[in-house]
Amino acid sequence: MLRSLPLLAAGLRWTVVVAILGMALALALSVVLVAMRRSAHRFVRAPARIYTEIILGVPILVLLFIVFFVLPEAGIVIDPLPAGLITLMLYYSPYLAEVIRGALNAVPAGQIEAARTVGMSRFRIAQRIVAPQAVGLMLPPMTGLFIGLTKDTAILSVISVAELTFQAKQVISRTYAPFEVYVLVAAGYWVLTFVLETALRRAETSVTRYRRA
Amino acid sequence: MFDVARVVEAWPLLAKGAWVTAQLTVAATAVSLIVGTLSAMLQLSGLRAGYWLSRVYVSAMRGTPLLVQLFVVFFGLPLLGIRGEAFLAAVIAIGLNSGAFVTEILRAAVLNVPRGQIEAAEAVGMSRWQLWRRTILPQAFVTSLPALTNEFTILLKATPLASVVAVTELTYAGQLVIARTFEPTEILLTVAAVYVAFVLCLSQVSRRMESRFARRWSIQ
Repeated sequence: MLRSLPLLAAGLRWTVVVAILGMALALALSVVLVAMRRSAHRFVRAPARIYTEIILGVPILVLLFIVFFVLPEAGIVIDPLPAGLITLMLYYSPYLAEVIRGALNAVPAGQIEAARTVGMSRFRIAQRIVAPQAVGLMLPPMTGLFIGLTKDTAILSVISVAELTFQAKQVISRTYAPFEVYVLVAAGYWVLTFVLETALRRAETSVTRYRRA
Repeated sequence: MFDVARVVEAWPLLAKGAWVTAQLTVAATAVSLIVGTLSAMLQLSGLRAGYWLSRVYVSAMRGTPLLVQLFVVFFGLPLLGIRGEAFLAAVIAIGLNSGAFVTEILRAAVLNVPRGQIEAAEAVGMSRWQLWRRTILPQAFVTSLPALTNEFTILLKATPLASVVAVTELTYAGQLVIARTFEPTEILLTVAAVYVAFVLCLSQVSRRMESRFARRWSIQ
């Protein structure tokens, strides 16, 4: 058991890397989806809405299989790691987009009109009026989604991405102690999600300081 | 590109898998509701030990991946003398995982039951158990119905994980077909479509239930 700790530590490091990359990619695509949903053109809005509806109904494991096994059929061969990252991005972006959309819509329209009346540019309005309030509103639900994404990196072990759960399987094939190893691995994830939650809650406290001022 | 014949050929196996997915979903939902309700009651009962037991349960379930929980249960059951029960392991793991989220949903709903009603129930001499059963829980369930349905949609979408311990549900049935034909495209897209259909059905049922409850209890 003790000799397998370095292997598990390496797996934990990869889990952190995969989770952070997955969050960044999902966030990037979600911003695109939000922009599409807010577009004035129906033909831009519709694809984003249909995509969201479909993803809400497809399990992430099935999506992973589609990315990993179906794309090569279309001539796009990808390694397990990029396939996993693409899956995390495709799966989490619609959920994140809904959170962002909700937060943007929650900023009172009167404030934006007022800002326009005093002659602020669109960029200034976004920067000084919308963003400070919307970020505070979107952080709590985003924390839940990011924790979900971090936990779902474990699913990438199914296509042999060398993250924590995959390394656990490697260790088990040597030690034959599946129960003990998985309990240890679960503790590792628990610490990881705890750290993530604490960090994001701190961030929320600091961006919503204006409310208490 | 999309060969319907392959889907038709695989359909009997996929349909059997879809049936197992439905069974898995119903069984895990039952476990989740029972455990979630008990855990919420424990947390709000005023017992210190009960409060902490429920908090730790919720935190552990929410802080670790379902896949790892499934492995812990799957490899833990044999230590208790229960062998070769992959379906049972999946029901327990998925049910316990979802139960933590149900705890949080019900906790919020219970705290929203007006204080005056609880005092009134105590005033007419209801016992603690009657208070929960007749006053608190019925209202908590009705007000949290949308959140609960949402949670059980998530549960349905988590059932494919049971395929990793070889429960022959829809996803595993699909994998079995693919292992024979080496043609993943049609099968995987069909499997995905069936899940989308399941989720749509579930949200339809919940919408009906919501409007029915809303009419009967006149709660908005």
